[in-house]
Amino acid sequence: MTLADKIVIALALLLLPFLYIEFWGNSSQGEVVQIRSVNDNDVTLPLDQNKRLNITGALGTSIIEIKDRRVRFIHSPCKGKQCVTTGWLNKDGQLAACLPNGVTVQIIGRDQRFDAVNF
Amino acid sequence: MRSTTVNPELFGTRLSFLMSNHDPAQTYPRNPLASLVFFLVMSFSLLGLNACDQRPQVYQQQVLALGTLVDISIYGVDEATAAKAITAVTNKMETIHHNWHAWQPGKLTYINQQLAAGNAVSLNQEQQQLIQTGIELARQSNDLFNPAAGKLIALWGFHSDERPDAPPPAEADISALVSAAAKMSQLTLTGDQLSTVNPAVMIDVGGYAKGYAVDQAIAELRRMGVNNAIINAGGDLRAIGSKAGQPWRIGIRHPRQAGVIAALETHDDESIFTSGDYERYFEYQGQRFHHIIDPRNGRPAQGTSSVTIIEKDASRADAAATAIFIAGPKQWRETARSMGIAEVMLIDTTGTIYMTEAMNQRVHLEVDAQTKTIVAP
Repeated sequence: MTLADKIVIALALLLLPFLYIEFWGNSSQGEVVQIRSVNDNDVTLPLDQNKRLNITGALGTSIIEIKDRRVRFIHSPCKGKQCVTTGWLNKDGQLAACLPNGVTVQIIGRDQRFDAVNF
Repeated sequence: MRSTTVNPELFGTRLSFLMSNHDPAQTYPRNPLASLVFFLVMSFSLLGLNACDQRPQVYQQQVLALGTLVDISIYGVDEATAAKAITAVTNKMETIHHNWHAWQPGKLTYINQQLAAGNAVSLNQEQQQLIQTGIELARQSNDLFNPAAGKLIALWGFHSDERPDAPPPAEADISALVSAAAKMSQLTLTGDQLSTVNPAVMIDVGGYAKGYAVDQAIAELRRMGVNNAIINAGGDLRAIGSKAGQPWRIGIRHPRQAGVIAALETHDDESIFTSGDYERYFEYQGQRFHHIIDPRNGRPAQGTSSVTIIEKDASRADAAATAIFIAGPKQWRETARSMGIAEVMLIDTTGTIYMTEAMNQRVHLEVDAQTKTIVAP
């Protein structure tokens, strides 16, 4: 084996973990939470990083919590509080919405199967 | 020199494959530096594959319109055009929503006041078109779809943003309205003058106005040169075109669980509308009362949990979903036929799925083996 062979093999081995993470690893292409509001910028956050956010909507501030790979509405300035009673979301495609405030929270998996969901 | 040459036994075959060199004597680069550079270039171009693998650019925006969240997806135009189109359709839908609102004072409440007073009222072109469409759809559905029964909807308390969990209406009030038998066929449109012989008629376009608004929004998009789009108004949608030749993929949500029950791909220009008992309801003493009222007995229709329709026009799809929901598991097929709707799926309250053969061809069900599926010709 020549020196060049060794360098090439070493480089190839170094490249392996990088390739693994890029194609199979749990990178930024994993499950994310998409928070959208009519009065605020859309935010996309990883589901595996705990966080609490204040989102400005049509009526006021909705508080959203991401914890232990789940997400929920903690508070919203609406009457019905349907968004809060929806509880935790943890599966791909699940959605919670506060219509009066115009804020939605949805889990989007790495495999975005649908362009739209009918219900 | 020997010490710095890449060993052909290790890399010769691979390199000759990559370089497509037909001369076996030159299957690997002589220069060791060249081979390293080559290796690195190949490696990073492999990583670069990911960047080339991006999805086609779809502009998507969520807007508050029609009293719900409307998702607009646009493909195949530049960002500036997409942004302009989104603003235009939002305004269009908001105007329709305002004009046809069932209880907030507007053009429709004025029309209803005049009709209740026994007066004729003049309609503009859009109003004539929408009323005419309503009369026709009600006729095709044998009045199961009944936009003239607005008083029943109001009696049940669904003419408010949030129906409180208060008692259902009194029996006597329900039967009085059922006996009054308000029907779309009792409306007469002579020229631009609308009148009725039955003062119990109160027009509520809630059963097809969303569809109408989606149709108008799609027409507006096409006028602006947008030919690939989805307008998804709170779960009811019309999709036109495709994205880079790939059909739009639509999931139909399960009426009783999280996740989808079926998946389908749209063909060129189609609306997909679902009426479900989970959409609007109130609860009283442990009983749930949903918003789809059967005009025959004046109560929430029994037996159905959801109906999904695929049909070109959104307004037709919207009305048909309501009518077939009310028709229920026993009469759904007949009502679909009389309305000329080919692609229908009904899920009853026990979870059994009923489908037309045409619908069966279109959807991929994602259900367990216990789910009973009945396909009707």
